[in-house]
Amino acid sequence: MAARAETVPAWQRGKVASWLVTTDHKRIGILYISTSLVFFILAGLMALVVRLQLAQANADIVSPERYNELVTIHGTSMVFLVGVPILAGFANFLVPLMIGARDVAFPRLNALSYWMFALGGAVLMLSFFADGGAADTGWTAYPPLSIQAPGNGQDLWILSLHILTVSTVAGAVNFIVTIHNMRTRGMSWTRMPLFVWSVLLYGWLIMAVMPVLAAALTMLLLDRGVSIGPWDVQTDFFNPEAGGSAVLYQHAFWFFGHPEVYIIVLPAFGMISEVLPVFARKPVFGYKAIVASTVAIGFFSMLVWAHHLFTVGLPIPLQAYFMIASMIIAVPTGMKIFNWLATLWRGNISFDTPMLYALGFLSLFVIGGLTGIYLAAFPIDWQVHDSYFVVAHFHYTLLGGVVFAIFAGLFYWWPKMFGRTLNEKLGKWQFWLLFIGFNVAFMPQHFAGLEGMPRRIYTYADESWEGYNLASTIGSYVMAVAILLFAVNVLKTRRSGPRVGNDPWQADTLEWYATSPPPPHNFDEVPYVTSARPLNDLRRRLREQRGERAPA
Amino acid sequence: MRRLLALAAGLVLLAAIVAPSALAQFAPVAPESPNAEGIRDSYLFISIFVFAIFALVEGLLIAFIWKYRRQKRPRFEDGAPIHGATKLELAWTAGPVVVLFFIAAFVFIELPGIKDVPEAAAGEQQLEIKVTGRQFYWQYEYPNGVIAIDTMVAPAGEPVSLEVTAPDTDVIHSWWIPSLGGKIDAIPGTTNATWFQAENEGTYTGQCAELCGLEHARMLASVEIVSTEEFEAWLEQRRAEQDTGSVALGKEEWEGVCAKCHGMSGEGGIGPRIAGSPTLTDPEALANIVRNGRRTMPAVGSGWTDEQVEALAAYLKENPPSGS
Repeated sequence: MAARAETVPAWQRGKVASWLVTTDHKRIGILYISTSLVFFILAGLMALVVRLQLAQANADIVSPERYNELVTIHGTSMVFLVGVPILAGFANFLVPLMIGARDVAFPRLNALSYWMFALGGAVLMLSFFADGGAADTGWTAYPPLSIQAPGNGQDLWILSLHILTVSTVAGAVNFIVTIHNMRTRGMSWTRMPLFVWSVLLYGWLIMAVMPVLAAALTMLLLDRGVSIGPWDVQTDFFNPEAGGSAVLYQHAFWFFGHPEVYIIVLPAFGMISEVLPVFARKPVFGYKAIVASTVAIGFFSMLVWAHHLFTVGLPIPLQAYFMIASMIIAVPTGMKIFNWLATLWRGNISFDTPMLYALGFLSLFVIGGLTGIYLAAFPIDWQVHDSYFVVAHFHYTLLGGVVFAIFAGLFYWWPKMFGRTLNEKLGKWQFWLLFIGFNVAFMPQHFAGLEGMPRRIYTYADESWEGYNLASTIGSYVMAVAILLFAVNVLKTRRSGPRVGNDPWQADTLEWYATSPPPPHNFDEVPYVTSARPLNDLRRRLREQRGERAPA
Repeated sequence: MRRLLALAAGLVLLAAIVAPSALAQFAPVAPESPNAEGIRDSYLFISIFVFAIFALVEGLLIAFIWKYRRQKRPRFEDGAPIHGATKLELAWTAGPVVVLFFIAAFVFIELPGIKDVPEAAAGEQQLEIKVTGRQFYWQYEYPNGVIAIDTMVAPAGEPVSLEVTAPDTDVIHSWWIPSLGGKIDAIPGTTNATWFQAENEGTYTGQCAELCGLEHARMLASVEIVSTEEFEAWLEQRRAEQDTGSVALGKEEWEGVCAKCHGMSGEGGIGPRIAGSPTLTDPEALANIVRNGRRTMPAVGSGWTDEQVEALAAYLKENPPSGS
């Protein structure tokens, strides 16, 4: 690498500068993940203020205006600045390593996607300082409310999402081209790690639905009115006053919005499919079935959007269709869960921190999935739609599901990323605090919703809801302690965490063949891939060469 | 394998036994109208499967974690080299399909009872009330032109059908009284329909379920169910009052429309203090500001009839807000 280093100008070799100009997929991956974690903490703090306000009936901790801003930016950030980009970060770091490539197909485009993400995030966060404050119409920004919203917060929200859309689509193109073209010798489609499969679907889904969001947002922006040079443009796509349709926006938004859930959830599934087999010491159960279910979920996710619109008064046959389509998604999702369970069956299970998170994911995601059945049944949705039941449901899938998977991934791949492991003891404390705090926070919200508490209200007069809300608030602060422990863990092990070598978990996939951390070019050579578990094959061949017999 | 199947069957059975008592706790509020009852029945029916699947999955998870934990085996000793089983895959693909078929079928069986308005008794005319969602109050219009704000009065035992909408200049709201059925959005430019038929007299509460702006949380609604005679009397009295400057309607308007931002005694809140403002005692200025708004104050009473404006003026004349 000496030769390459000399071609790099001196100013780019500094500690900070080298990160600013990097096109190395591993560094960009780490940038993505760390930036997302910062946004995760910011958006989490917003949720803590929200929970404080709701702990008691008729509380007066924040103004209604500020409350609506916090709810809006919390939701928008968790989806666009945490869910999607942190998984883009894992995909960036892992995909080339897992398929035995030296980088992604378009490294400079990759850097552009990251910096667009950082810019979009900055625009969203700084919009709190805009004239009239940040956007306050919810992360869904339904018109006409979002058309009428005064000030510039809503405009900056649209701008931020436009920037993030470009970033996300550019990233998706990169992953798709990389996965289709740069797999190493022998890595056929059916030998590709399941995480890479999930990133492929993540990419294709983004390509399919993000442009629809961009279109809807552009129409919303024009409805709000813009000045382009000497021209004032003011349209009425979603403005009923001038014959527009308010519900049209909802269709466009959720045509994007529902697949968006799977854009976030599929790579999380993929990480679970990587972690479970390694700690159960077994091949994943039903590789092909899991691939098929990933593809099926991706496809069907684009056909179910109007289950978010059951209360707008759609014709009953249409609602019936969307109920059945939504229920169909439960089938491939169930396949995955049963395959994961079967992966544990007759295994040799170790409970390292990544495995704890993966098992926590399994137990919580099931609950989120099951409450989804109620929401899919449209007459029941008429009752629970837009209530705290829904809030509980999607936090079980996105926080209990995705965030637990993300921590599984962080603890699992941390030694590969930085060459040092995180502290196991702190990790386990964090897990139990997060697991208990999460359930204390979100289980009661189901009941609050069933009893009639709508979402997005800054206060409530009904004191019978106080118990649920107080529990929720306590749980959320327990979770905050857990996240704090993670920060402590990162700082504490930064210089002193144990170095554990290239393959500490005795894993199956190619990234563990590289050194920890891997060199800029990843591999000097890549072994020929003959199955979906190349490293397992390699270890077996080595044992055979040494004349050892495989344990019975 | 046989023991596993027995374990699974046991877990499902256990859930089926425990479920009925537990289920009633984890369901929508006690229904007071046939549509709310149909929804609750569907919910409970689905719960049987949901609790069974929950017990099965979490039970197997815990059982596997316990049974196949490493114990004294070497750290990296391989587990059983099992890659999959086609028959199992088919079983857990087909199983959920069957369950979902039953769930969907049950929903379709319950559906007519939830969505269709029952016929009114012979000789009776169906009562229709127009519900308009506005920032941040509910306005009800009875067939004889009587207007009420936030609190709806309706007769017991009779089917009441609701036409739900919002003015073109307003935003989306959602009508929801949990014990009287599901919610339906009040959308500018669109009219949706729902209904209820409450047998028991009493007051049933709910609130707007679609974020509609600053005071979304205060957009409460209640339905007061009274006997048919009481209802007829109420309707006639309100009609008569409305012709002469109704103080009752004016009070509802003050509390439902003005006070949510300006405070119950005009002391100020999200909106400025208005107690003692000359506008309150000047009917023309009052009509102007209510119908057209001013600066950040929305036109809360755009489209109000003269009767409505006069009612507010009449109320304020008798009850000038004290400011504290």
